[in-house]
Amino acid sequence: MDFDESLPRRQFVKAAVAAGGASALSACLGRAPRAGEPVPTGVSDISNLPQRQHAWNDRVRVDADGNVHLPRHQTFLYLTVDADGPPEDDARGTVEAALRTLDRAYERSNEGLVYSLAYAPSYFDRFEATLPDSVDLPEPRRLSGFENPTFDTQDALLHLASDRGDVVLEAEEAMFGDRSEANGVAVEAKLGDALTVDDRRTGFIGAGMPAERQAQAGEPISGIPDSLPVPEQSPLFMGFEAGFAGNQATEDYVTIPEGPFAGGTTKHVANLRQRLGDWYDEQSFAERVMEMFSPSHAEQGLVEGVGDNLGADSGIDAVLDPETIQQSISDHGRVGHAQKAARANRDADGNVRILRRHVESTDDDVASLHFPSLQRRLSTFEEVRAAMNGDDLTDNPAIRQRVNNGILEYIFVQNRGNFLVPPRRHRALPTPRPA
Amino acid sequence: MHRRRLLTLLAGAGTVGLAGCNRPQTAGTSTDDGTGSPPPSTPTGSGDGGVYVQSFVERMGRLGTATAGPYRVALLYTVPHQFWTVTNAQRSLVPRGGGDGYRVHLMATVWDPETGIAIPETGLSLELERDGALVSEEVIYPMLSQRMGVHYGGNFTFPADGDYRALIDVGALSIRRTGAFRGRFGDPATAEIPFRFTARDRERIGTRESPGAGDPGAVAPMDTAFPLGRAPDVEAMPGTHLGTARSGDAVFEAVRLTDPPAGVDGPGPYLSVSARTPYNRFVLPAMSLSASAGSFDGDLVRTLDPDLGYHYGAAIPELTEADRLRLAVTMPPQIGRHEGYERAFLTMPPMELSI
Repeated sequence: MDFDESLPRRQFVKAAVAAGGASALSACLGRAPRAGEPVPTGVSDISNLPQRQHAWNDRVRVDADGNVHLPRHQTFLYLTVDADGPPEDDARGTVEAALRTLDRAYERSNEGLVYSLAYAPSYFDRFEATLPDSVDLPEPRRLSGFENPTFDTQDALLHLASDRGDVVLEAEEAMFGDRSEANGVAVEAKLGDALTVDDRRTGFIGAGMPAERQAQAGEPISGIPDSLPVPEQSPLFMGFEAGFAGNQATEDYVTIPEGPFAGGTTKHVANLRQRLGDWYDEQSFAERVMEMFSPSHAEQGLVEGVGDNLGADSGIDAVLDPETIQQSISDHGRVGHAQKAARANRDADGNVRILRRHVESTDDDVASLHFPSLQRRLSTFEEVRAAMNGDDLTDNPAIRQRVNNGILEYIFVQNRGNFLVPPRRHRALPTPRPA
Repeated sequence: MHRRRLLTLLAGAGTVGLAGCNRPQTAGTSTDDGTGSPPPSTPTGSGDGGVYVQSFVERMGRLGTATAGPYRVALLYTVPHQFWTVTNAQRSLVPRGGGDGYRVHLMATVWDPETGIAIPETGLSLELERDGALVSEEVIYPMLSQRMGVHYGGNFTFPADGDYRALIDVGALSIRRTGAFRGRFGDPATAEIPFRFTARDRERIGTRESPGAGDPGAVAPMDTAFPLGRAPDVEAMPGTHLGTARSGDAVFEAVRLTDPPAGVDGPGPYLSVSARTPYNRFVLPAMSLSASAGSFDGDLVRTLDPDLGYHYGAAIPELTEADRLRLAVTMPPQIGRHEGYERAFLTMPPMELSI
C-alpha cells in the first residue's frame, strides 16, 4: 500500500487509519500530527478499570456545554471465532490476555485508547444454553419498510477509538498483525490467535474532519455533490452537530441492571450510506433545519450554522406533541428527523432512552455513517427507529415514505448488527449464563 | 350505465367548470395542428392553470425489466428532463442538471403483474453501479408525464459507456389495500436490472417538437408493453356511477358500491372516487380528499384495490339516501410533474355532484 505523501498530515492519518495494516502504521508513525508525543500508558491492575466497557464519557473530551466529544479516529473490527461450537477455555484465556495487553499499553482515554468487545446473537447460538431474560438481544432485522440491509452476524465486534490515529492502528496491528509491542508494552497474546477479522470499517468525527474529507484529490467522494458544501466547522457530513448532552441517555441509563451481564449494555450498529446532493443543492439552510431538527426550529431560527449555539440541548422536547407536528406538516409539508425519533426516545419520566455514538466514514470513498447506539434493551433502539420512520405521519400525503420525512431521503442503510457489550468480567468469549 | 351528471363547481364555475367541454377529449392531440408557441421552460403560472401539450415529444429506450417480490419493474431512459416536485401546494423546479458524463432521465415503472395495476405511490430508490463501483443512489419521486404516465423518475449521469447494474428498491406500501390486495405489497423488494450502455443506446433517444405545444391537451402516451398507470374507464368500474366532477383540471369519477371491498371496516355502501388526468386518464394519487354526503363528513382513504384501482374511498351509510355529494381536495396530488402537468392539479376548488 502506497500513501500519498503530499496529503496534509491530518488527511494522511485518516487515510492511514482507513487503509490499516503494518505499512499504514509505519507510515502513520512518521507523519501523524502528534507522532512524536508519548501516548499515556494503561494500568497493570485492571480492577482500576470500570466494569462497564461502555464507560467512555468521563474518559474522553467534554466541551464547556457538557457535550461529549467522541475520539476522532475509530475502527470497527467484525470478528469470527476460529472454531465451530462453543469456544474452548484456552481461546477464552487468549482473548482475556490480549485485552489485558491493551489495558496495560494504553490509558483508557481519548489520549490513549477506549474500546469495547461485544458479541452478536449468532455468537450465543454456539451454546446450548440461551441468554437470560435480563438480556434483550434479538437477531438484527429490517427496521423500515424500505430498507434491505446486510445483517452483520459475525461473532463479535471490536470497537477501537482514540484521538490518536496511530494508536488505533497500532492497537489493531498488535491484536491482529505482526506487531510485538503496543506503546512499548510486550504483546503477550493476540486476539488474532482466537478470532479472525471478517470485516474492517473505519470512522472519524470532529469539527472540520468531514469538510477536509469530502473530496479526495479534488474530486468529491461518492455522495458529496460537486459544490463541496460540507461546512468547515461541522463534525458530520450533513452539516450539523448531533448528540447534544441533553438529548443523550446517560451511561447509567443504558446499563443492564440485573442478571449475569449486569453492568453491560446492548449495542446496535448500522452503517448508512449518505447521498447529500439533493440535501445541499436542492434545499435551503432553513429546509435542512426543518428536516434535521423540526420545522419549528426553522420558524424560530433556533439553529445557527452547524448548531453550536444550541449548547447542551437541541430543544427537541418542545416540539414532540402531535399537535405541533401536524401543524408543521400543514404549514411546511415536512417533519423533522430528530422530532420524529425523539417521540419514542423518552421514558415516562422524560429520560432519554438511547445513547448514540455515531461517527462518519469514507470507507470505499463513499460518504457514510457508522451508527452505534447503546441501550439497556436492544428493542428500545428498534422502537426509536420505528418512530423515525414516521409511518404514522404518512396519512398526510405530503409526508411520504422517504420524502419530506426527516432525512430518510438522504440515508441508505447498508448493514445492521446487534451486539451485547458484556461487563468487563465477562468480556472474553462469555457463555450465555456466566457464573 | 348511469347517465353522467353535469358537474357543478362551487367555485370557479363556468370557465373552469366547463373548460373540459371545449378541450380535446382524447389523447393524441400532439398531432393536431396548433400554432401555440412552446411554453417557457420555467412556466411562471400561478399554478391554477390546466394541462397543456408539452413542447416536445421524447423518444425513450428500455434498459430492462425484472421481477421484485410481487412486482414487475421496468427501467427506461430518455433525455434529461426538468420536472417539478410538489410539497403541499408549493411547486419546486428540479433542473436537468449537468456534470461530467452522459445525462439521462431514468424512469422506473412498478406494477402488479397479476392485474396490470401500476403502483403509483410508494418509496422507491435507485442504486446505480458501473463495473461494481457505486455511481449513484437516490430516492426517486413518483411523477406524471404525458408520455410515460405514472412513473418514478430522476436525472442521473452515466460517467461512461459500459456495464451497469441498477438496483431498484421498492418500499412496502403504506396505503390501504383492499380485496385481493389485502396482505400484499407489505414488504420491500429489490429489482436487479443489469444493462450495457453504449453509443447505440445514446442514439436511440431524442426529442422532436410537439405541434400544438402549450395548447390545452396532452401528447399521446408512448406505446408500451407495460402499464402506464391509467385509471379505468368509467364503463369498466364496478358499482353505480354517481357522476363526474372536475377540479384544477383533474377529473373525478365517483362510484357507489353496495358493500365495501374486503378490508374496509364499516357497513356499506362504499364511495370510491377515482381521480385522473384529463386526456390521458392517468391516476392522480397522493392527495387528501374529503367527502360529505348527508350527515357524513370525513376523509376518503387512499386505497389500492384490484377492481377499483387506485382510489379514494370510505364506507358511507348515508350515501344511498343523500342527493348531493361534495368533494374537497384539502391537499393537491403530492406527485411530481413533467412539463404540461406542472400548472394543473394545484389549486383545486371544492366540487359538488347531484347523485
